[in-house]
Amino acid sequence: MKAVVLIVALLLILALLAIMSRNRLVRANISVDEAFAQIEVQLKRRSDLIPNLVETVKGYASHESGTFEAVVAARAKATTATTVADVAAADGQLTQALRGLLAVTENYPDLKASTNFLALQEELSSTENKVSFARQFYNDNVRTLNAAIKTFPSSLFVKSAGVTSRPFYEVDDPQDRKAPQVKF
Amino acid sequence: MDFRKLQSANKLKSTELLFGMALLVGVVIWALLTYFGKTGIGVVPFAVGIALLSVWGSYWTSDKIVLTMTGAKIVTEADNKQLYDLVSEVCIAAGLPTPKIAIVEDNAPNAFATGRNQDHAVIAFTTGILRVMDREELQGVTAHEMAHVANRDTLVSAIAATTAGALALLSDFMLRIMIFGGGNRRNNNNNDQNPLALIASLIVLILAPLAALLLRLAISRKREALADVTAVAFTRNPTGLRRALEVLAADNTVVHQKSTAVAHIWIESPLDGSKTSQLFSTHPPLATRIATLRAMEGNGSAQS
Repeated sequence: MKAVVLIVALLLILALLAIMSRNRLVRANISVDEAFAQIEVQLKRRSDLIPNLVETVKGYASHESGTFEAVVAARAKATTATTVADVAAADGQLTQALRGLLAVTENYPDLKASTNFLALQEELSSTENKVSFARQFYNDNVRTLNAAIKTFPSSLFVKSAGVTSRPFYEVDDPQDRKAPQVKF
Repeated sequence: MDFRKLQSANKLKSTELLFGMALLVGVVIWALLTYFGKTGIGVVPFAVGIALLSVWGSYWTSDKIVLTMTGAKIVTEADNKQLYDLVSEVCIAAGLPTPKIAIVEDNAPNAFATGRNQDHAVIAFTTGILRVMDREELQGVTAHEMAHVANRDTLVSAIAATTAGALALLSDFMLRIMIFGGGNRRNNNNNDQNPLALIASLIVLILAPLAALLLRLAISRKREALADVTAVAFTRNPTGLRRALEVLAADNTVVHQKSTAVAHIWIESPLDGSKTSQLFSTHPPLATRIATLRAMEGNGSAQS
């Protein structure tokens, strides 16, 4: 009788552990989806700032058309991307193009002094930080999920939870590997 | 030092300390049983009940109470765009919803976060800290405060406060009963008791409140250290928080918020640290915290 109780208790504990490990996988998978959605939200925010930014800069520096075109082209490309790798690649290009545009503005003191541009700059640098933190948060979540997929005991439930290891969000830009720049 | 390892080490230590508190409760109950027999247990629900009522009421409404006690004013995105941006950036890094943001009129640079969970969180800055710190330093401070929210430190400190409070009350009740006529009961019930056990239980009852207080403060210090490390996990930038703590260390503005009731929630202890020993402090010394952050800067573990 005692042995039966013991075995039942043991089985219950094992079942509980199994449920917990499987839930851990499912939860980690959802977190990755949410984190990717957050990147897209922030990229959208940045994308929405661009027409206004380009217009403002054009008013002062109309002959820098090459830089504008690069930004507009990168933005157009970013809106069509869907997979993690494509989004990341388009994101990297737009980040570069924007950096080029902001470098150009350095030569126009009138532009830099305009209140409209100052407000845009704060918005843009904050959005840049948000994009960068959203990428980092996504990658942390991918790391957690991929680790859970590979480690015991959760590795036993990968099939039943229907999860697969996910790609990291890698932007091809050496400057993004550094801590995000924060400046007023 | 790798922040991931430091994070789990700090979490483990504060869990151990909470277990230490549970153990202390066990020892006190043993002392009660030894000294007073089964009748002594009758007061346990009273002590626990009073402690629960006094702590959990304030835990539940912590966001509102602390705002009233410190005179903090909630600000909106329109009031202070830069501060709002700064906080929402860190929240994206932490994967937390943006909390309510408040400003306290006070020249001393300091900040705190409170609220029973991430949906009721409040983060507050003094006008002093907003004036003396640049954006990178403020980001470090914000990350430290959001780390408290992420690690649910309002809950942890409420648990520690409840246990310490219940033990203090228990010990107080017992010592009173002993002095005012508990002796008779002891003679009636416990003639066959081992005298050594009786003395040991008496010592336990006398020392339990002090031990509970020390454990509670040790937990608070561990959670502060953990919040520093978690902050680095959020920003991957130990330099910002390290520089912020250096600003706090160099600052000697007279603090108006001297109330011990809310001392533990600030990023830097607002009470005069030099006069109280380390053992009785709610925060680890700033020098130790700065050194830990410097060690994290050194090997580039700050980068993902």
